[in-house]
Amino acid sequence: MAQPILELRGMSKNFGMTEALKDFSLEIHPGEIHAVVGENGAGKSTMIKIMTGVYQPSSGEMIMHGERVDFHGTAEAQTRGVAAIYQEPMVFPDLDVAENIFLSHQGLGMFMNWRRTYEDARKLIARLGVALDEDRSANGLTLAEQQTVEIARALSLNVKVLIMDEPTSSLSAHEVEKLMAIARTLRAEGVAIIFISHRLEEVFEVADRVTVLRDGRLISTRLIGDVTADGLISEMVGRDASEFFARSGTQRRDEVALDVRDLTLDGVFSSISFDVKEGEVLCFAGLVGARRTDVALSIFGVAPADSGGIFVGSRKASIRSANDAMKLGIAYVSEDRRKLGLAMTMPVVANATLATLRKYMSKIGILNRSSEIETALKYRKRLNIRTPDVDREVGDLSGGNQQKVMLAKWLDADPRILIFDEPTRGIDVGAKAEVHSIIHDLAKSGVAIIVISSDLPEVLALADRIVVMREGRQMGIFDGETATQEAIIRLATGQSANEASA
Amino acid sequence: MNRWSIADLSPQALRLLALLAVMVLVILFFGTQIDRYYSTRMFNRVSTSVAIMALIATGQALVVLTRNIDLSVGSIVGFTAYAVGGVVTRFPDLNPAFAIGAAVLTGAAFGAFNGFFVAYARIPAIIVTLGTLALFRTFLVEYSGAKSIITADLPEWILSLPRTNLFSIGNLDIRLTFAVAVIVVVVVHLAVTRLRIGRKFYAVGSNPEAAVVAGIDSRRIVFLAFIACGALSGLAGFMFLSRFGNITVVAGLGFELKSVAAVVVGGVNIFGGSGTVIGAMLGAILVGLLDASLVRLQYMSEFWREAILGFLILAAVAIDSVFMRRLFAWRYARREKLQARLSAEGKAKGE
Amino acid sequence: MNIAETGVAKSPLQKAVGHLTDWEGFLLAVLLVTIIANASMSDVFLTVNNQINLFQLSIEKIIVALIMTLIIINAEIDLSVASMMGLAACAFGWLFHHDVPIGLAVPIVILIGALGGSFNAFFITVMGLPSLVVTLAMLIGFRGLARVLVEDRGITDFPEWFDALGQQPLIGPFPLALLIFFALLVFFIVVLHFTGFGRYVYMIGNNKEMAVYSGVAVNRIKATLFIASGTISALAGILFAARVGAVRGDVALGFELDIITMVLLGGISIFGGRGTLFGAVFAMLIVLNLRNGMALANITHHLQTGVIGVLLILSVLLPNMRGMIRQFRESRASAKS
Repeated sequence: MAQPILELRGMSKNFGMTEALKDFSLEIHPGEIHAVVGENGAGKSTMIKIMTGVYQPSSGEMIMHGERVDFHGTAEAQTRGVAAIYQEPMVFPDLDVAENIFLSHQGLGMFMNWRRTYEDARKLIARLGVALDEDRSANGLTLAEQQTVEIARALSLNVKVLIMDEPTSSLSAHEVEKLMAIARTLRAEGVAIIFISHRLEEVFEVADRVTVLRDGRLISTRLIGDVTADGLISEMVGRDASEFFARSGTQRRDEVALDVRDLTLDGVFSSISFDVKEGEVLCFAGLVGARRTDVALSIFGVAPADSGGIFVGSRKASIRSANDAMKLGIAYVSEDRRKLGLAMTMPVVANATLATLRKYMSKIGILNRSSEIETALKYRKRLNIRTPDVDREVGDLSGGNQQKVMLAKWLDADPRILIFDEPTRGIDVGAKAEVHSIIHDLAKSGVAIIVISSDLPEVLALADRIVVMREGRQMGIFDGETATQEAIIRLATGQSANEASA
Repeated sequence: MNRWSIADLSPQALRLLALLAVMVLVILFFGTQIDRYYSTRMFNRVSTSVAIMALIATGQALVVLTRNIDLSVGSIVGFTAYAVGGVVTRFPDLNPAFAIGAAVLTGAAFGAFNGFFVAYARIPAIIVTLGTLALFRTFLVEYSGAKSIITADLPEWILSLPRTNLFSIGNLDIRLTFAVAVIVVVVVHLAVTRLRIGRKFYAVGSNPEAAVVAGIDSRRIVFLAFIACGALSGLAGFMFLSRFGNITVVAGLGFELKSVAAVVVGGVNIFGGSGTVIGAMLGAILVGLLDASLVRLQYMSEFWREAILGFLILAAVAIDSVFMRRLFAWRYARREKLQARLSAEGKAKGE
Repeated sequence: MNIAETGVAKSPLQKAVGHLTDWEGFLLAVLLVTIIANASMSDVFLTVNNQINLFQLSIEKIIVALIMTLIIINAEIDLSVASMMGLAACAFGWLFHHDVPIGLAVPIVILIGALGGSFNAFFITVMGLPSLVVTLAMLIGFRGLARVLVEDRGITDFPEWFDALGQQPLIGPFPLALLIFFALLVFFIVVLHFTGFGRYVYMIGNNKEMAVYSGVAVNRIKATLFIASGTISALAGILFAARVGAVRGDVALGFELDIITMVLLGGISIFGGRGTLFGAVFAMLIVLNLRNGMALANITHHLQTGVIGVLLILSVLLPNMRGMIRQFRESRASAKS
């Protein structure tokens, strides 16, 4: 192969006592798509931040075109042709597409040349082979369109190495296809792409080579043809893949806890019908954009449906607010901890009792603080929340422990129907296993559980039954014992129209 | 292919059109209610008083665009009016350009003070400017020793300034101060739409995080916004001096909230990132127009003016919010429909 | 081994700084310094009369500052309080002028306050407009209504017993307004720090959307606060009328800024979710004592205001500087390692 365009040699990065990267080396060639895979905390984001000049390495060197480079900031990295796009794109909602692309450019003179800005933007977008009006306000763009804007921005800076950090995790299947096409177009132009993804099927689809990172160390770099998915997984986790997703037996009982019939929210989802039995784990599978969260939110009353019926314990329920749902014993554990799950600057105890605060109030509303603390301590023990004391601000805890505090809040409500939305996204394997065992225990105690998950192995490990959704429609219900990944994906992507039945 | 429709205009353009339409309606309405409403005197009165507020509102708009607020503008206006008044009283032969320059620079210095603490010491703008609202007024009181500037002591050129005509359109006199205000507003408007750095005012207010990632020095932009706001308030202070002549320690009191009101009515998002300087000026004109017209309504006590003004501002904001929400929902639905049709057509062709 | 790594050895200076940056501790220290300085400067300062007088002069502001504290912790703001005080005072004067007995006028005016607060609440919760904008408009609107009621007259001929209620001691040395302040202070401390309602106020201020997802009746709590704010402002307006014995259109003009300054000085975050009523009370005491002390030292009212403005900026600057110093130290430590 030709000379690499970017090379990391013996790169290490320490934060105090922890080593995020250890003696890591990587070669990136022009015109290749190079996947980097690894678990959360494996050091991928540290690697990206060093390449884009956000961090300076503790030791080791970076070489571009055979010459040593040191970046002291993203602007410097960009002028040398290294740019990154992230899972959550960074656009200016009040500016239009063309401005978003060219805003940060240096040396274009004092004055805006609007005509040239629009012309150049149009050319760039055409080069990516997508349809996007350059004068549209960024305000109404979908996530995928925003990413396109960011890629165009990188392209306009004459990018040589483009880092894509989990670009597909929030895209619909169709959008992922488009993004892959763009990646291939750029590859054909000689751009080197570093592709970071948790979805191995995408890695196999698009990458030329793949590097595995674990605990900050380089495990392997190989041609994609030389590896298998199982092989990659066991390299990523350092153990055998199978032991993580062992199925546990069902605890399903006969009583129906929740029955949903023909639930419809105009323009969002239509005719959703399913039931959950006590002690059952019902999983919702589907790609992002399948509107699974919207169904959950309408059951939880935050965004009520327009028509259809929700029956709780065989009685028809009218749920117009979260409070209504909670009174019926329904709880919803959000996927967005930071925005929807916790008050980050409030203590653990206040977060844990928020949903059930009435329990701790006297008749005139005075809080019983000692019983609040008792509750917090109880859940600290039961869920193994690692915090020295429960007056600690939640924001100071690690992601997995925050997740458990959020869970404590809902468990304290003693729910009969518990909805988990992506319960293990963004937490590491150990915490994942803990969450799975909590779900399992809850089901055992008779709670009806709904899990929305985009992680298919997780779905197959947890589910008694699986509802597959696609673009607001219910595609079918599988039995958890007999379902296969392939069958679910076929339904979720709309490749097979005939509905399976449980 | 597509029929052009008014709803395809950008929200900002729609807002400006709506403001103009409301303004025309207001003028037509008061024309039927007030005798000799369409008179030169009325126009002159409104235009000279609007000139001052339009300048302050423009400065305020720049600050609000960057997701900040400047509550000290009234105190800056008061201080510069007094200080420049004091200087020209003592040196009546001073070159006018020097006096105006001093006013602008004084204002800019105050603005820099605000901007430093907001941008570089990272103190929320509302706290800094609430503090300097009091502080700058204190400077004024200490500086003045509680004495007032009196019209009689001012040189003639300052006092004649508000009555100086630039040119006349028919019977309408375009006063110099009004023309200057309009020119300044247009220049600032061009700066934020045509200058590269001007666009960054929008970027910083629109998404501060993205601004950092894009390598924009947001602190510098915020700093500049406060300096510009201070400078424009300084200029407004000079105009205040020439218009009223008598300057006491309460000069400019309450201008901070009036300017915010004008900016909000003019369609500038109070949370930054969107809006236009022209809109802020139109907001100032509309508020000033209502103010001056309500006073002249025969059958209504003049004391109703302020009350009506307050409720109209609220109504304007409420209607704007409801209307914009509808517009976005409607556009979104239309685009969805269009896409559905396109993909259906695409499929039909493919098969 | 360096100090930053072990995190134990602290110089006395570092310890002192650690104490100072605990904002309420700092306020307390400032308060003590102010009181000692004032007491050493003037013999009358520590007399009961002067102490009560010190409260009396700004009593309406500190009463309203109590509810403002809750509103700002809730991540909202009410700029219309002073105008509501003006409107209430003028409505009271108007009713009195139209021969409505005072016993009836007071409840009517309080009701007007509640209505005004509900009006704000409607636009903020139902229409979803920012409270900054809504209450700014009503700052102008309520003030306008006040002027409509009394125009450019002054109403001064209240009965003697009414003026006395505003000015003379009622129980012991305490006038009515001061008693009301203490009662409200205790009430709000209990509400904010010991009840579920208070917890909701903090939680909403911290993360409003999360509160919605946790089944908290966010709009109801916000509405309650704004209605309470209107009601208490109206009460403060009547107290003002009684204390001054006169009502004009510009009653309490500009008080909103003083009130908000006191609250923010008390360490309540303008972004909501942080701060306590204790901090707010320390800040009130500091402002009152500073003003009183400066007045005793013949410093003009305006200069006093300027000093308080500086204090307000310092109140955020100092904690910020701690963060900056820490950052600087960390970057130096990491450069060394």
